[in-house]
Amino acid sequence: MTPLRAWHLPSSFSLLEGEVAVLEGPGVPTLQYPTLSESRLRDLLDVLRRERETTLASLPVSRVVDVVDRVAGRLLDPRDGLRVTALERLGHYSGFSSPMAEAVLDGMARSWMREGLWDLIRSEFSDPTVLDRFRPGPTGDQTRALGFPLTFHLGAGTVPGVATTSLIRGLLVKSSVLLKPGLGDLPLPLVFAQGLEEEDPELARAVAVLYWPPEESGRTETVLKEADLVVAYGSDDTVRWIRERLPPQTPLRAYRHRMGFGLVGRGALGGGVGSTSSDAVGAAVRKKARHVARDAARSVALFDQRGCVSPHVFFVERGGEVEPEDWAGLLAGALQELERVLPSGEFSLEEGVAIQQLRGVAEMEEGLGNGVVHHGGEGAPWTVLFLPGGTVEPSCLNRTVRVLPVDTVEDALSALRVWAPHLQTVGVAGLEDRTADVLESLARLGVSRISSFEGVPWPRTWWHHDGSGPLQDLIRWTDVEGVGFFSPGVDEG
Amino acid sequence: MSFQGLAEEVKGILRRGVGEPLPEQAFNDLAVRIFRFQCRSNRAYGGFVARRGVSPEQVARWEEVPLLPTRAFKTTALVSGDLKDVAQVFRTSGTTRGLKGRGEHHVVDLALYRESLLPNFKANLLPEEGEKTRVLCLLPSPDAVPDSSLSFMMGEVVRVFGGGGSGFFVGSDGEIDGKGFRSSLGAAERGADPVLVVGTAFAFVRWMEMAEENGWLTCLPEGSRVMETGGYKGRSKELPRADFYGAIEGAFGVPESRIVNEYGMTELLSQFYEPVLAEVQRAKSSGRDLSPMALTERYHRGPPWVRSRVVDPLTLETLTSGEVGVLAHLDLGNLGSVAAVITEDLGREVPGGFQILGRVPGSEPRGCSLAMEDFLASQGVES
Repeated sequence: MTPLRAWHLPSSFSLLEGEVAVLEGPGVPTLQYPTLSESRLRDLLDVLRRERETTLASLPVSRVVDVVDRVAGRLLDPRDGLRVTALERLGHYSGFSSPMAEAVLDGMARSWMREGLWDLIRSEFSDPTVLDRFRPGPTGDQTRALGFPLTFHLGAGTVPGVATTSLIRGLLVKSSVLLKPGLGDLPLPLVFAQGLEEEDPELARAVAVLYWPPEESGRTETVLKEADLVVAYGSDDTVRWIRERLPPQTPLRAYRHRMGFGLVGRGALGGGVGSTSSDAVGAAVRKKARHVARDAARSVALFDQRGCVSPHVFFVERGGEVEPEDWAGLLAGALQELERVLPSGEFSLEEGVAIQQLRGVAEMEEGLGNGVVHHGGEGAPWTVLFLPGGTVEPSCLNRTVRVLPVDTVEDALSALRVWAPHLQTVGVAGLEDRTADVLESLARLGVSRISSFEGVPWPRTWWHHDGSGPLQDLIRWTDVEGVGFFSPGVDEG
Repeated sequence: MSFQGLAEEVKGILRRGVGEPLPEQAFNDLAVRIFRFQCRSNRAYGGFVARRGVSPEQVARWEEVPLLPTRAFKTTALVSGDLKDVAQVFRTSGTTRGLKGRGEHHVVDLALYRESLLPNFKANLLPEEGEKTRVLCLLPSPDAVPDSSLSFMMGEVVRVFGGGGSGFFVGSDGEIDGKGFRSSLGAAERGADPVLVVGTAFAFVRWMEMAEENGWLTCLPEGSRVMETGGYKGRSKELPRADFYGAIEGAFGVPESRIVNEYGMTELLSQFYEPVLAEVQRAKSSGRDLSPMALTERYHRGPPWVRSRVVDPLTLETLTSGEVGVLAHLDLGNLGSVAAVITEDLGREVPGGFQILGRVPGSEPRGCSLAMEDFLASQGVES
């Protein structure tokens, strides 16, 4: 494979001789990246600002949606070179197995299709054309929503596609975008930007995708100083680092590290309302419990548990026909099964060490009568710990989870309280008549998304990402009061 | 075989010192018998071995002994024998990350610890010295922190090898007794005899900051040496090693070639040293001169009663020399707890020993899911 060129620049900005360096080293795919000086980087930012001012800001949002939809369609088309390139590189950079890379690309690209984009826009703007021009406001005045001129997006590199989604959101509100993806999510935004250029060169001129190694942070600092809005994905440390370097007037939209959880109520385990026991019912109960376990396993396996939506801990209610310990076994079986369909990808030596320690301690504790551990042995990193009396802890990823038995889901809610700042997606099943109460309690805890296990990996496009509107977060409103202005752009009604 | 019987055998090996290697067969024979004893007498470890599907009687080679993860020392008292016979409990420093808190090493027979640490220390830090050396420790004394294995070890070293003026200069609160240390360094400086300064890397960094603020410079007599250990464990900005040693040289007047890193862990009774001084001395005694080993070439070596391997973290297969993996040790000195452990330290095998490539942080390097450090930080807990 030829070394990846880790940049996509507006057609009106070209790299000069000597502005490219090669990155290579153990565990890093060899790639070329631009080494723009501070002044050259400022030139690029000027170009992006200008393109947004002269072109992007005047394009209707429908055109942005159409173009993104076309590129997404190509990424889903097995005959299209764009998809072939994306898949080839995605696996290489993310460490995902090929089936996983494909599943991730499919899921991401589907969320960039027209329908999903309109769902997102309409959920945040009752009148989407307010993104294009002044529109009547609530009391007959006028109002307009527009993204910040120059936005800087910093990706985390953990889940491929996330950075591209961020880029798309920027374009929908007509902001120019400089995206610096993380290494693990490098290929997709580059391929996406290439698709944009092929489909709509005019629009693509407001986009730049650039990679530079984290240690060359001078460039990051320059852009942080210049950008009008910063969107960052990363650890709390990364967010802190960025916040310390931002001018006071620059807003930061930070997507910090999050943890997902699962709640499995008795209703999914044969302990629900009106359950009776007969062989036929027993088989049906087991089937349902297995079904929930299968969906739960898939929610863990997708992204090899690196997603902010990925569950780390399952709380399972006692007292059903299928007890939590049995359910942990079903979950383990389903994870093993998934190794055939959606095999685990590569993991680092450090992650391997963490898994070995986790398993070994759990095996010892099992011998002492404290819990049960299931794992994929030498062949696969998945590990399920069944831990009565165990506590919530972040997992070592790569499909390692804890199953904690609880008498009632309310016990789970109190165990989650301490994790409130990090809560995000909670998968639920079998809550039955307690559903409304549990959902209300989760909302009060600050959970930003509750889903069936089947839906956990793929949030709706309109999801209030970490609790707020992903587009509303990127725009500024301009309101007009009592000024009788009549623009040709303002429609009646 | 009883604990006492095996302990006598182990002590017999310890008393041979570190000069001569222990024949493979002798090591293997004792390692396997200790393993079987530990399976019988240590319920936690025995259960672990059974859970791994290993039958103790069928293990014939030390490499086949199931490796217990060091984190197991955090969850369970790992005693091979009777818990009531435990003479001393050593605890990890508490800077190790994780919610489970500190690891504990329950030591049944302190004589095993003493007899294993002394000859190894002598060979690696005081190879050319006579009876007594002034030993200045940038550590809390064993009285101040009775559960620190490092302080215990240095207490024994000072008791046996320490000359006049030896002492400990860190309080139980971790604060350096700057004036006391400064004045002891001054006394050492005025004398002609070489001294030994021992401390954690963290304490050295703190001391050098203090010394710089106060303009304290020391040039210890020729032949003095420094032992640093422990790393910074995330408590201070990590200096590149060459800079760190350069700073020590500047602050104490001890050249890089006489600064030795010790790698030890509470969970093991034996220690590993960079054999820089030991090798120079060995060469000298056979009439040769040895040029100092470059920092990048340095490696650690254990005593004859420890065998180390570099293994794949998941398959646990021994890796070929030079390949990076995780360090696993079998320490016969650990007779009273668990002898075969797998650490969280990455390393590679090199001729003569192994190189350590750093401790794996407690949590996970990637994932937009949460890292333990972030959680602890958000709770105001120092990780």
